[in-house]
Amino acid sequence: MLHDFSYAAPTAREELFSTLARHGKTAEVLSGGTDLLVNIRAGISTPLHVVDLKGVAELAELGFDATEGLSIGACVTVTRLLDDASVRKNYPLLIRAASELATHQLRNRATIVGNIVTASPCGDMSSPLLCYGADVEMASAAGTRRLPLQEFITGVKQTVIQPGEIVQRIIVPTTFCGGTGNYLKLKRIKGHDLGVVAVAMLRYGKKIRVAIGSAAPTPVLLPEFPSDATAETIKEAARAAISPIDDVRCTREYRSFMVEEFIDRLLKEVRA
Amino acid sequence: MKSIQVRINGDLYEREVRESKTLLHFLREDVGLTGTKEGCGAGECGACTIFMNGQTVNSCLVLAVEADGAELQTIEGEAGPNGELSPVQEAFARHHAVQCGFCTPGMVMTVRDLLQRNPRPTREQIIHGIESNFCRCTGYQQIVEAVLDVTGQLSDTEQEGLKYV
Amino acid sequence: MYEMTPAEELTTVGRKSGRVDAYEKLTGHAPYVSDMVMSGMLYAAVKQSPHARARIRNIDTSRARDLPGVRAVVVGEDLDYRVGLYVVDKGILARGEVRHFGEAVAAVAADTLLTAQEAVRLIEVDYELLDPVLHPLKALEKDAPLVHPDLGDYSYMEAAFTPVPGTNIANHTRIRKGDVEKAFAEAEWIVERQYTNPSVQHVPMETHVAIVRWQPNDEVTIWSSAQSPFTLRNLFCTAMKLPHRNVRVIVPYVGGGFGGKAGIGIEPLVAVLSRLAGGRPVKLTASREQEFSLLPCRSQLTYRIKTGVSSDGRIVGQHMTMYWDSGAYADYAVNVTRASAYSAAGPYEIPNAWVDAYTIYTNKPFGTAYRGFGHVEFHWGIERHMDLIARVIGMDPVEFRRRNTLKPGSRTLTGELIRENTGSVEKCLDAVCASINYGTLTDKEKRRQQRTGMKIGKGVACFHKAPAMPPFTATAVILKMNEDGTVTANLALTDYGQGSYTAIAQIIAERLGFPVERVKVAFDCDTDRDPYDWQTVASKGLILSGNAAILAVEDLLANAYDVAAQALRCNRIDLAHDTEKVYIKHHPEAAVGFRQMAVGFAYPNGNGIGGPLIGVGRYIAQGLSHLDKATGQGNPALDWTYGAHGMIIEVNERTGEYNILKVGSAFDVGRVVNPDSVRGQAIGGMMQGLGTAVCEGYIYDEQGHLLNPSFTDNKIPTSVDMPLEIECMVVETPQIDGPYGARGVGEHPMIGVAAALGNCLQQATEAEITHMPMRFEDVWRAIQKKDPVDNWITKSPYGSCKSSPQVQGHHPELGC
Repeated sequence: MLHDFSYAAPTAREELFSTLARHGKTAEVLSGGTDLLVNIRAGISTPLHVVDLKGVAELAELGFDATEGLSIGACVTVTRLLDDASVRKNYPLLIRAASELATHQLRNRATIVGNIVTASPCGDMSSPLLCYGADVEMASAAGTRRLPLQEFITGVKQTVIQPGEIVQRIIVPTTFCGGTGNYLKLKRIKGHDLGVVAVAMLRYGKKIRVAIGSAAPTPVLLPEFPSDATAETIKEAARAAISPIDDVRCTREYRSFMVEEFIDRLLKEVRA
Repeated sequence: MKSIQVRINGDLYEREVRESKTLLHFLREDVGLTGTKEGCGAGECGACTIFMNGQTVNSCLVLAVEADGAELQTIEGEAGPNGELSPVQEAFARHHAVQCGFCTPGMVMTVRDLLQRNPRPTREQIIHGIESNFCRCTGYQQIVEAVLDVTGQLSDTEQEGLKYV
Repeated sequence: MYEMTPAEELTTVGRKSGRVDAYEKLTGHAPYVSDMVMSGMLYAAVKQSPHARARIRNIDTSRARDLPGVRAVVVGEDLDYRVGLYVVDKGILARGEVRHFGEAVAAVAADTLLTAQEAVRLIEVDYELLDPVLHPLKALEKDAPLVHPDLGDYSYMEAAFTPVPGTNIANHTRIRKGDVEKAFAEAEWIVERQYTNPSVQHVPMETHVAIVRWQPNDEVTIWSSAQSPFTLRNLFCTAMKLPHRNVRVIVPYVGGGFGGKAGIGIEPLVAVLSRLAGGRPVKLTASREQEFSLLPCRSQLTYRIKTGVSSDGRIVGQHMTMYWDSGAYADYAVNVTRASAYSAAGPYEIPNAWVDAYTIYTNKPFGTAYRGFGHVEFHWGIERHMDLIARVIGMDPVEFRRRNTLKPGSRTLTGELIRENTGSVEKCLDAVCASINYGTLTDKEKRRQQRTGMKIGKGVACFHKAPAMPPFTATAVILKMNEDGTVTANLALTDYGQGSYTAIAQIIAERLGFPVERVKVAFDCDTDRDPYDWQTVASKGLILSGNAAILAVEDLLANAYDVAAQALRCNRIDLAHDTEKVYIKHHPEAAVGFRQMAVGFAYPNGNGIGGPLIGVGRYIAQGLSHLDKATGQGNPALDWTYGAHGMIIEVNERTGEYNILKVGSAFDVGRVVNPDSVRGQAIGGMMQGLGTAVCEGYIYDEQGHLLNPSFTDNKIPTSVDMPLEIECMVVETPQIDGPYGARGVGEHPMIGVAAALGNCLQQATEAEITHMPMRFEDVWRAIQKKDPVDNWITKSPYGSCKSSPQVQGHHPELGC
């Protein structure tokens, strides 16, 4: 059973932001609900007000244009991203990671923005979005602001987002369109599981970009490498950037080992 | 409380519902359609799978108020008007793809969704297609065989099943 | 019974037949307790301990009681009852001291579940933290705190168990056969190892749920997702000091059990809430998280095996010590201990054997029955051990097994003589070896190795299991003919997915000579309607209830023949029947229809004879005995089902990642009653075993907090986790006292799977893994010879040596 809360589904931006401003910290934003409702059920989140974004039509927009790049609105589900032809064409790494995210039913509800806002170290979308140099655009009654993704997530399940503010979209620039890459995720079973550790790698022209999940309090983007960088160079950078922990899912030791193993595999793949 | 209107298996329902009630509990408690089961309440097991506007969802992770105006399909709408089993249900029955039956309603919904998206899935696609739904009894094999059968793809060895030595 | 009937003469038994419950379950119409609502029903919620061991100084329920809509609040001090299956050691709620993380300390019934949950939040418990006893071996140390200081005062089933007051030992079972020390002195090889497995959770898809109505006149009705309605009633009445006639247990459809619902669980708590609420029905549905700590799990096992082997590869003596960690309460764990002790060596002949099996209390969630009843756990040890011995002595593991399997003429650990009809381990072993091309790599496999860079490994495991049950276990079936000549069977064996009712319907149809569609086995078990059945556990249902069903048919037919003999004025012996009628063999036109006799035969003038046609079949296990407490000798086994798994895997030797390519399993089932049901049990059980082998297990911190009580961190296998290929095989060596020769196979498929995987991994990589589960990291650590991760609390010494001067794999701790 979920505790009682009020529910509002504003249809206009102004109404949305005034509702959020009015409720401040007592409100939680609802889009896919696949994290929020789990957290409410577990007593981790206890909002008095739940504000549904899905009434605001423009937040559901998913679009690509050659100048700005890909714009993923707050209510765009993982399934919609997976089904989008321009994403499939231009951002294959997003497709790879999105298809590893949870289950089909969850992907039908879960949103890309939600996966970022949850700011879990194991969020599947963070690493590939970091590789693509994505920005996060926030909005509130006070206006909008835009930050690179790596500045948006500040710690385990922590972001810069303020009460009254939402992430209205993620913008993925065209800089790396046409790059090739993959996303490798260590799981405890072959079926759906969160990433015990995960590495995304993107090769674009003479550059290699690498991001790592579940190996530090936040997903980590490594400094850019030239495409002829040795595996050892990348691993060294990874070792310097990550700080994996021992927990019920894995030891620090094996996480570190598998990050390097994945770097080897991905490097082989992007150079093939 | 909020007033919502949903169409479930073709029938219209209008109810006052607590904002915090999940769609799963709304179906089971307010509408009385208990075919949809709760296995975990946290979106992990798939037992509560239903169709919402043509897509499968875990109804434990949707608020009833979010479904206002939605078209829902549950296991109760799967059989024909005179109670005759659907082809998927028939195949499940034929292949003993049911044991305790608790995951079955969600599993049938998932299979139907899979077949809507891909009318002739390969064995591997079937296995990936039902990954979202835990079944603790069958070990999945007979479910996979039921789906192969209903799509006309069952091999003779699989038809054979048990081997006597 | 009818075990020698040739297969071709059988029309229903052994044939494909649809499940009797398929329609209800496929359409969502089958009612489970979780679906049920009673008028005036209240909802319960439970306050659980966040600590493993603590003294309860005070519980303040005042704020909970003041909450509008709360109808009953109860704490342990209010309840002067003790409940227990074999050792009566458990309060309905913790009193004075909490003994495990998640233990119930208070409960509430309220108008809505939300109110009940809110009230539980408002209950404040003042705990004084105590040092928990977590490790079973440390619990045996002299100065270990006692989980149950009052153990000596508890009542227990004296014929079967031996608690040791003043210690944490809830039971000590001994098996003594021959002279082990002498055998070791004469052995060429001595191999000793220790094997461990953590606690795991059953994970039935329907969590535990009960509705209880305790009327003010002390008449109680319990609707429960229980496996064993009569045992539930008996334990409930004993604990509550109520006459059995007052208590009615109803079990409708149940969403899986696997042993976790075998005994008594939340029912007494729900009952006292109902009584306190003036007799309104109260419902408690466990959350998935509560399944892991409020409800019981499977016990952890530490199994030490020391084996003496002759120069020709025969086991001459074996010393076995089992440390069963039962957690805070004895529940089924004491009987798991007993049953494991008498089967401890696996399906092998051990001329000289010594078993000490201990059930040990610790401050952890308690263990109960789980599919295989200890055999999954100890076969992990014994079947890994068989491979390790073979490696030490330089013999092929399959050949080593063949030399030592139980054969006609062998004697088990308890002295029972194995006969031709007992079944054949060897045939099962041969079948699985053929299934996986044991000992070689096919060309296809060689190419696969080249393509993937992964190493292919092959391995096997054998197993045996007899039903763990009292020697005098009984059941009954009542068969009633309806006016239209269909029949309805009532029995209290529950079908929570296994397919028992389908098999019973086939057996009844076979014996009656009716089509199976004319037989109904009634769902909803009801202790007020159905005849007694002990429990639905132990893979004994098919034999015992199957036999009772045959006897019920015999009785019904005898009654029908009596009426027909009178109606047709002939000798009973001259009668025969077909699907419609009883007739005189030599004048077949002289007949009386079943319909005419179903509710009493009437002559044309209205005179009646006979009365309704009913058959009663009563069956009790035959010729079994208690085990001698000092030596463990006796005859505990209704039947032995033998089997084997063969497995093919591929493993990445660098990372420990692996894939399961094939599992071939064979079981000597005596006689297949329903091939699809056998296969369903075989594959479902194998996958459940694979789950415990690959990923499942309770993880604790050093304070005894359970760290993974949900699907987030306690994964179970999905469809993607299936082996790429599965082959299911049966051997049919008819069981003389089985219905049409059949024996049970419900639990067996889960046994030995983990060991087969461990054996494959070692064969491919040399990694010597002695603990479960085998996560990729565990395999990696074993390959790298790194210390295992010890989050299951299972560290263990091990070693092996040869009696001759060259010592192999010597380990100093063992001093050999």
